[in-house]
Amino acid sequence: MKFWSRVAAIAWKDVVSELRTREIIFSVLVFAVLVLVIFNFAFDLAPDQMLQIVPGILWVAFAFSGVLALNRAFIPEKEENCLEGLMGCPVGREAIYVGKALGSLFFMVLVEAVILPVFALLFNIAVLQLEVIVVTLLATIGFVAVGTIFSALAVNTRAREMVLPILFLPIITPVIISAVKASSLVLVGSGWGGLTSWLSILAAFDVIFLVVPFLVFPYVIEE
Amino acid sequence: MRPRILLVLSTLLILAALFMVFVYVPTDAEQGNIQRIFYFHVSVAWIAFLAFFVTFVAGIAYLAKRNPFWDMVASASAEIGLVFTTLILITGSIWARPMWGVWWTWDARLTSSLVLWLIYLSYFIVRSYITDEERKARFAAVVGIIGFVDVPIVALAIQFSRTQHPSALIFEGGLAGSMLVTLLVSIAAFTALYLLFLAVRVHLKEDESELNSLKEAMRE
Amino acid sequence: MNSNNLGYLFAAYSIIWLVVLGYVFTLIRREKALRKEIAALKEGMKKA
Repeated sequence: MKFWSRVAAIAWKDVVSELRTREIIFSVLVFAVLVLVIFNFAFDLAPDQMLQIVPGILWVAFAFSGVLALNRAFIPEKEENCLEGLMGCPVGREAIYVGKALGSLFFMVLVEAVILPVFALLFNIAVLQLEVIVVTLLATIGFVAVGTIFSALAVNTRAREMVLPILFLPIITPVIISAVKASSLVLVGSGWGGLTSWLSILAAFDVIFLVVPFLVFPYVIEE
Repeated sequence: MRPRILLVLSTLLILAALFMVFVYVPTDAEQGNIQRIFYFHVSVAWIAFLAFFVTFVAGIAYLAKRNPFWDMVASASAEIGLVFTTLILITGSIWARPMWGVWWTWDARLTSSLVLWLIYLSYFIVRSYITDEERKARFAAVVGIIGFVDVPIVALAIQFSRTQHPSALIFEGGLAGSMLVTLLVSIAAFTALYLLFLAVRVHLKEDESELNSLKEAMRE
Repeated sequence: MNSNNLGYLFAAYSIIWLVVLGYVFTLIRREKALRKEIAALKEGMKKA
């Protein structure tokens, strides 16, 4: 249980410190809304045509906001040299990975919880369906699972956070593809049945990319 | 030495493969002569995959043993893999043009190859942004491991979302005997070529390392 | 149709071999430059 209490402590610390200052969360939310607005100008489509690109717009917004959110996971630690303190205990390193991932998950879910209703409002499309929410959650888990380890890695390179998108966007293409395809299917009326293949891919991705980074993370923050 | 044997072997196999592709194997009924690209296009793809597998294994070996040799193997193999992946894209594009009239199409195989190319490009971008050799090797190993594990899922996800490319002819058993043999010889030829490149490239890295040690020693 | 496509076939194979040979030549060139540099350094060290 010591492991989970450390994980909770790390995640809680991140959440609380961010909620106090509200630096990043506010910019990320505004950024996400801006992405939606820009897409509206970029694609001036009739409502029935919108359905085709709606999931894509959503996930572009989530992906880019997600990168911003993931960056804040390790930059402050690097700057304040907090990691050494966290790394003392034997279960320290893996707990850092899970704790940070949970923190990023919280942020992304927060952003999604705001953006989905805003989207429904601005574009008049029923995105607030249970299927869409489940798909989004599964995808976000995969997103932060990979993003957290690469964020820790990126912060320790010369280009720092700039490397993160280059590094991890190609890796998470299955997540984006599955989320977008599954969401499109939901929006044209498919029930859970039509989503099984995409949900399986998302689930498989989540499992694999929670396990592998978990095993490999200690090597990233070794020093 | 061993590179020399590989050089002879590669040359012989390549000549054999070229003969089989251009003289021995019959012309495809449907696609005509352009179909002959298939043999080298597929061989190159298999070798790229092999190269990244070697990077994956060498990365694990490095993290376990911390011997710089494994990092040399990993990065040499990734470099060769990247060159071969570029060839997949180029030959795939040249094949696409007469087949479908366009230089590029977002079909399953080409898209997966593009993502593969981007993943291994990022492998080198990460390496270039780190100066400390030990950290470079360690981080590259992590990227190589996660990247390789990702490859099957990427291919699967993209395959689910597209259906234009001729699906794996080999596994469907739709290949005539002569075509299968030609393909196998092509794959063998490129494998020999890959091993030759790997041996030479690692040798080159060892020399670079020797040079750096000498320079270090001189400074003292 | 066949003769048109032969052009593409030729292009594909040429590019493969140009890339492969080009890679081989860059490797050989770097190897030679390295050997020269190592030899020069070793000479310098002997004198020192």
